[in-house]
Amino acid sequence: MTNHDIVSLLVTCQLAAPAATVALVGVPALLGRPPSERATSRIVGAGFAIGFIAGLLTLASLVARGFVPEIVHLGSWFSVGHHEATVELVADALSVPYVCFSTGLCGLVNAFARKYLHREPGFTRFFLLLAVFGTGMNLMVLAGSIDVLFAGWELLGISSTLLIGFFLERGNAVRAAMRAFATYRVCDVGLLAAAVMVHRAVGSGDFDRLFGENWPNGTCLVPAATATIVSLLLVFASMGKSAQVPFSGWLPQAMEGPTPSSAIFYGALSIHAGAYVLLRCEALLDQAPLARLLLIAIGLGTALHANVVGRVQTDLKSMLAYAAMTQSGLIFAEIGFGWRVIPLVHVISHAILRSLQILRSPSALHDRHELEAALGGHPGADRWALGRLLPEGLQSRIYRIALDRGFEEMVVGRLFIVPVLWLLECAADLERRWLVFLGGDAGPGGGRS
Amino acid sequence: MIPPDDRGLLVAAAITVAAPLIGSAVTAMGLTRGKPRPFAVAMAFVSLLASLAVTTLWSQTDGAPRLFGDRLGGGRFVCIDGITAVLLPYVALVEMAILLVAPRRALEPSAVARLLFGAAATFALFLTSHPLLLVALWCATALPTWISVRSTPGGYAAARVFAIAMSTAVICMTIGTVLLIIDPPWAAAAGWVGSAGGWLVAIAVMVRKGIFPFHSWYPALFSGATMSTALAATMPQVASYTAVRLLIGHVDHPEGVAAELVVLSQLALVTATYGAALAIVQRDLRSLIGTLAMSQSAMVLAGLAGTLPMELNGAFCVWISSGLALTGIGLVSWALESRAGVIRLDTPQGRFWDAPALAAFFLLFGLAGIGLPGTLSFVADDLIVSGSLDEQLHAGLLVILATVLSGIAMMRGWFHVFGGPVESEGIRHAILPRERLALTILLAVLFLLGLWPDPLVRALDRATGRLLGVSAAGADRDLQDLPQGR
Repeated sequence: MTNHDIVSLLVTCQLAAPAATVALVGVPALLGRPPSERATSRIVGAGFAIGFIAGLLTLASLVARGFVPEIVHLGSWFSVGHHEATVELVADALSVPYVCFSTGLCGLVNAFARKYLHREPGFTRFFLLLAVFGTGMNLMVLAGSIDVLFAGWELLGISSTLLIGFFLERGNAVRAAMRAFATYRVCDVGLLAAAVMVHRAVGSGDFDRLFGENWPNGTCLVPAATATIVSLLLVFASMGKSAQVPFSGWLPQAMEGPTPSSAIFYGALSIHAGAYVLLRCEALLDQAPLARLLLIAIGLGTALHANVVGRVQTDLKSMLAYAAMTQSGLIFAEIGFGWRVIPLVHVISHAILRSLQILRSPSALHDRHELEAALGGHPGADRWALGRLLPEGLQSRIYRIALDRGFEEMVVGRLFIVPVLWLLECAADLERRWLVFLGGDAGPGGGRS
Repeated sequence: MIPPDDRGLLVAAAITVAAPLIGSAVTAMGLTRGKPRPFAVAMAFVSLLASLAVTTLWSQTDGAPRLFGDRLGGGRFVCIDGITAVLLPYVALVEMAILLVAPRRALEPSAVARLLFGAAATFALFLTSHPLLLVALWCATALPTWISVRSTPGGYAAARVFAIAMSTAVICMTIGTVLLIIDPPWAAAAGWVGSAGGWLVAIAVMVRKGIFPFHSWYPALFSGATMSTALAATMPQVASYTAVRLLIGHVDHPEGVAAELVVLSQLALVTATYGAALAIVQRDLRSLIGTLAMSQSAMVLAGLAGTLPMELNGAFCVWISSGLALTGIGLVSWALESRAGVIRLDTPQGRFWDAPALAAFFLLFGLAGIGLPGTLSFVADDLIVSGSLDEQLHAGLLVILATVLSGIAMMRGWFHVFGGPVESEGIRHAILPRERLALTILLAVLFLLGLWPDPLVRALDRATGRLLGVSAAGADRDLQDLPQGR
């Protein structure tokens, strides 16, 4: 067996292990025989453990060979004419550390959730969705072509939506899930269009034909105009998943989901999916100064917005959501500045800290009491030192804006959602009237045997 | 004389049609002793096996269409090509799933006889390219649907809307086909008669497929008819098949008719987007399924009217994937309705804990209909979006918009049916084994074709290459390779 064969096997394991757990838990559940709680968590945990170990071994192999990338070609998925969708994975300095980190974190959350969700009616559903998420994440991170990346990206969005709406009996959870899904879906247009553009430009979706295979020193192999269009589309796609202004309204609402999923999705991995995609395509961004400028503006704007709004939140999970949004904005700006390693380190360190904070959030009151007991009184008020330098009138205005979450919801709602829904309602009403006219009485509506 | 190699193919095709026809006759004569389901399912199963035999035998041929019987207007009585080979098992699977899941009270012998007769007519239609036979089978497929809707309690209004639409479609189709036979527009000396014929057939296809502005009967049928009637009438998409045979390309005449296709394509794109958008604000589950079915059906036509093999291939994949997914959703909804009554979508209905298994199936079919990776719809969306964008930017953008909107509508539907507060301690509805079996088979096919789409895509590539008048190997598939007539 050559080194390439071994790495190929290990990389395939990283993907196949969590994917197999989806089938092992999902198929019996669908057939009416779900595994027990213990078996479910063990199966899913084993999948992550195998993926993590395979990731570490791949990392060791890469380190030993000076981070020379390995392309793992699993074959052609399908092809029509010049359009070929290949299943190609890449093991390089970006994907392998990231997959180790994400699989490890998924494994930890799996262990945490086993007790946290004990006897919860949706126990199997949670672990199944966690396994789907892990599979999607690994697929996206290891993707060597934009088609594979898009598949992983979609799995991330779907599992995220279903976990936000995990507590289906809560109206708020259902609304939050729908909001998140609609945002994802709109922004996915960017990735879908980018994939088509890439196919048109280089004849396939493979990254090595787009910008070489030497991350972080890739070279853009397409003309600047193509690179700019693809980059702008990728920036648009990333804004949704990474909750950048004006697509950030779903993130605080997304905390309606179970705490372990909030930690891993909105504190750690899902929120940084956009940043990962941009880092993967950094060579394109090098050729697209317009996209980089836009990234800086969006990133800094989001960071400022989230920082100010986060300060007036009255519940811990919302505060943490805005804190995560702030860091995500800063990471966007860092990528826009053309840095490579700094945003990657920022992503990993922020993800670890934030997921820990979110996992601890249900115990916040307990922690607070312990802190007060240790200090012998209330700790000092956490005031915004810089804010106090501002004139008092301006402080009040900023406070008001922050309370209204920067009017983002209102602007998006009034300018886009409300008019579109009004138009659609009008059209549906006209359709109903037309059917009544054609049908001759109260219109079609019977026949529900 | 029939070549010896083709005899097996012809026998399998004959069994595909004959099994449901015999089933229909036996049921109508009351020989099933008031319990028509087992016999009907058995006949549907025989039909499915025979259709799979057609596919298998076809895959061993050189890919050239097998034509039998008299020739008229560029068509033959029996025409078996790649499209037939792919679509026959799809229709057979849909029919069998409907028969398996249908609640007992919807399976009166007369209803089963109509369903099986409609299935036989649909199979026959998919096996011919003879214009006059196509017209006759159009009537034969529409009639049982109309009778079923009319005999459904509260279905009078839907039957009237359906009758208006179908009579218009049949009249246009009949006159148009006759004009096409008199003056074939693909012949060198074609005149206005042939052109008028082409336009009339295009209008007939638009009406039968529910293309804007003739779309109203589509959601009306889902609201007013039993689910079996609505699904059996719409999922096979007989109008798409007719468009393929009469407008998009004759087996012997690669040029076909062009101007009508452009109009059809543009209106289909508008309908796909409009239907998906309307689905977002529907107030009950049946209307949601109806508008989504209308949107997906239009998407198929939009792709079929394209000029690139990739678009046509994508359209056929959408045809199968959306058909299977919507059949699954329709059957799950029907099972749910038969237990819990009418499902509204105005507010979240909180049905998850009543029927968790049905919720899981609904979700999986819903996701399989909106491009879940690993299902056929992901491949279909990829092909149709890429093909449309390759051909025309606005077409690609409309396809993307329709995909996005239908995804939002589908998830809204799921969350509004199964999410929300549970008002009282309801009865937990278990899924029946026959329901689970049918839904699992549909789902397995969607996933199997999604994870391993290459055989299907290759078969379709060969078929679409011939349809467009280019060889599959050179279906390369660039515009300059295509015949000028398109």
